[in-house]
Amino acid sequence: MPIAPTSKNVRRQKTFCEFITTNYMIEDNGYLKVLRSDLLGKEDSIMNKGTIEELRNDTSCKHYNVSKKNCKGNEPPGLATFGCAFEGAYFALAPVSDAIHLVHGPMTCVGSTWEFRHVGTTYEGLDKTQMGFTTDIGEMDVIHGGEKKLAKAIDYAVDKYHPKGVFVYETCMTALIGDDIDAVCAAAEKHWNIPIIPVHAPGFIGTKNFGERLGLEAAVDHLVGTQEPEYTTPYDINLIGEHNINGEMWLYTPILEEIGIRILSTFSGDGRIDKMRQAHRARLNVVVCAKSSEAICKLMEAKWGIPFISASFYGMREASDAIRRICAQFNDPQLAARAEEIIAREEARVAKALEPYKILLAGRKAVLNTGGNKSWAFAVALQDIGIEVVGVSIRKSNEDDKAKLRSILKADAVLMEKPVLEQIPLITQTNADLLLAGGRSLYSALKKGIPFIEVSQEKTGNYCGYTGLINLARDIAGSINNPVFKLVGGEAPWEKKVSDLEQCLIKGA
Amino acid sequence: MKPNVIMKNKSIQVYPIKLSQPMGATLAVLGVKGSLALAHGAVGCSSLTKIFFTRHFCDPIAIRTTAVNEVTAIFDGGDGIVKEAIQNFLPRAKPEIIGLFSTGMTSAKGDDLKRIVSAIDYPIVYADTPDFVGGLESGWAKMAAAFIEQVMESPKSIRSDKVLLLPHVSLHPLEVEGVKDLLTGFGFEVYALPDLSESLDGHLGVNQASVCQGGIAMNDIRQLGSAGIVISIGASMLPVAEEFLKKSPHSVHINLPGIMGLQATDTLIEHLMRLTGKEPDHRVKHWRKRHQDALIDSHFSIGRKRFILAGEPDRIVDMANCIAEAGGTISALVASTPSKLLERSVAQRTFVGDLEDVEGMIDDCDVLISNYHGERIAHRHGKVQVLRGFPILEQIGVQLKVDTLYNGGTHFLVEVANAIITDHAHRQYH
Repeated sequence: MPIAPTSKNVRRQKTFCEFITTNYMIEDNGYLKVLRSDLLGKEDSIMNKGTIEELRNDTSCKHYNVSKKNCKGNEPPGLATFGCAFEGAYFALAPVSDAIHLVHGPMTCVGSTWEFRHVGTTYEGLDKTQMGFTTDIGEMDVIHGGEKKLAKAIDYAVDKYHPKGVFVYETCMTALIGDDIDAVCAAAEKHWNIPIIPVHAPGFIGTKNFGERLGLEAAVDHLVGTQEPEYTTPYDINLIGEHNINGEMWLYTPILEEIGIRILSTFSGDGRIDKMRQAHRARLNVVVCAKSSEAICKLMEAKWGIPFISASFYGMREASDAIRRICAQFNDPQLAARAEEIIAREEARVAKALEPYKILLAGRKAVLNTGGNKSWAFAVALQDIGIEVVGVSIRKSNEDDKAKLRSILKADAVLMEKPVLEQIPLITQTNADLLLAGGRSLYSALKKGIPFIEVSQEKTGNYCGYTGLINLARDIAGSINNPVFKLVGGEAPWEKKVSDLEQCLIKGA
Repeated sequence: MKPNVIMKNKSIQVYPIKLSQPMGATLAVLGVKGSLALAHGAVGCSSLTKIFFTRHFCDPIAIRTTAVNEVTAIFDGGDGIVKEAIQNFLPRAKPEIIGLFSTGMTSAKGDDLKRIVSAIDYPIVYADTPDFVGGLESGWAKMAAAFIEQVMESPKSIRSDKVLLLPHVSLHPLEVEGVKDLLTGFGFEVYALPDLSESLDGHLGVNQASVCQGGIAMNDIRQLGSAGIVISIGASMLPVAEEFLKKSPHSVHINLPGIMGLQATDTLIEHLMRLTGKEPDHRVKHWRKRHQDALIDSHFSIGRKRFILAGEPDRIVDMANCIAEAGGTISALVASTPSKLLERSVAQRTFVGDLEDVEGMIDDCDVLISNYHGERIAHRHGKVQVLRGFPILEQIGVQLKVDTLYNGGTHFLVEVANAIITDHAHRQYH
């Protein structure tokens, strides 16, 4: 039987040291003695690679049986560079703009992260999302422990910036040296009388997605249900997993509000500590485009009986479908009727705005190389503009994403397992007009002389909701006729064949 | 008047500008042709670094990770996963040399890179660069020293016409190219280590993300020992020069604190004239006249203003000198990490700190020169900002900027003066 430290008990194991001390004991002779009964009989093989492999796999995850991969993530050494759990947790919670995000670790963790994402906020005070706070632990802290420094750092930050709360992020270093972050936070919470939330997502514990889940879980554990809202309506919802990057959320929330649905709380785009504390009074949780956030919805469903649905606002059909499904949850014919009215109005508006673009883009073919749920979200949006999607990367997609893709794409569309190798032949074969991908695929597009649109996490524009679709059409139209791709992909004078040069000379003469 | 460097006694960094050793080491590896940076740590160390430099340079960054997780962190002293990492990427990327460096976690748990590397049959250069010690400059220097220590051969003889240039981390790729060109003009055969002038210089390359396409060639590094002259720029490169002199003790070492501004460039040219007995060519001489003219033209605006500079010590001290030459008052320098050079700066006050410290004394300045993170602060307090340092996210062509020597100094003074003039006009008419 595989040994499985499930994601759940990894979360409960508050510090790294605890993980070791509960499972193993170091004997006098220096060997590890295994304490857990299911590890017994494996003492001699504990150091071998197979056992390490087994420990890495979280077999309790539902995706494990399908793809032999789990949500915790076990990226193999040496391959591409994916984000770590800390990054996931930090990006998931950092949009809370009235809280301080204090990273307890050395400099790389926050020095290379802060102010890198444009996260929209309506907060009128000092936007703490765009500030970096770190304890910047040094050599002496590694040796003597960083707890005192952390306590002082919290005191300093709270005293100077008067936040509504503090998130303290554990990192690899502080997990390794075993700082008791929980105790420091608890003491500070008592002293300052504001929520001070330890977030245990050190980088080595898993992928970015897993970290995002751990971060949101920490927020739910510590915040939700600790304050009552001023008033409630029967149509209160929470948005889960929406980070409001580049203000994307604001492209669809006004429509929901117009229908009569109130956004009580968001996790965590344009988020506030107080709103998060009141989230338990919502009637529905809406997971926006992030599978990893479903875990906290289950948590909230179990604790407060809040049902949840998944929704995507990328593309017109998806947005309308999302609005309908949200309204359907409330069982109110009047609300549904109002929703239909507004959907019809918005769809008509989009159709009118898209008219000129459709003439330009009709019949064009695109190859799409992006990660996870964005693969089908963009595919739907492209179809809405009238572009045929002839190939999609599924390298970073999970089983649900793949199923969704198969349901929306034409039967002969190619799902690329290895986009790096497959995309250039695919462009040739299908005569594709356009490549949408992350920055590193630029050269593929140039080689084929076709337009390239960057859709990485950092550079994605406002493509959400109805207006987002118009933005996408505008951006694609802007690229599809841009001469740079052909020009840059062309040959230099010294690369041309001699006969071509002679032709030039004759023409010149 | 000798200003004391003030170390802020805070337990926190707010609006930090400090960057870590592994990040510096990454850049240093990318200054070698056919290299691949391999960060020994959790996946985030390399992915965050990759995003950081990709956005700063707008170019792909060749970096991979050993992806330490909670299991390998305990059971593996690095021996297993470094090997596994190399096996895994070899089918996709075949670097001539792997630049392996540690991060905070792997250094703290005592992974012995030397032992790990000795058991692997592949060319690897390694440096121990925990992120809880030092900063960007020291990480860059440690990796550069590692190449000299582990790759460079002891010379049989040395050549007086061969120069090794050791640029500090904050010199832009095209600035390194400029110094190389100047030295070539004096008749030297020049090599820079690390050399970003053809790797992260913003050229359209093929497959840049898998293996670094430009930089100094490995074969040239092996034969660096025969360089009769070593020119190191910045205090952070002194240890690298020392490492070089251990192997090639008869070479001449010249350390220049900086190469910005009239006097610093004059010093460099004087050294070169003394070494070669030649005069610089006509273009260099003419650029000096342009620089003189720029000093005169810019002193009206720069001379009346007070400046705060924040960033890597070698760079800000150099910039401060250049601005002070045009009469600008340097109210404060805020360095990311301590440096000997700070004690000799022209600034009224010198700190090791963060941008929160800058904001605390923002009233003492009219112009803030810092990285992209300073923008919000400068804007909030209505100050003029000139962007320099790591990272700069909202502008393109960062690596194309040249602020050094006579020509770069001219452009730099003009840019600073224009920023002040534009701001003045803006206030007048709006």
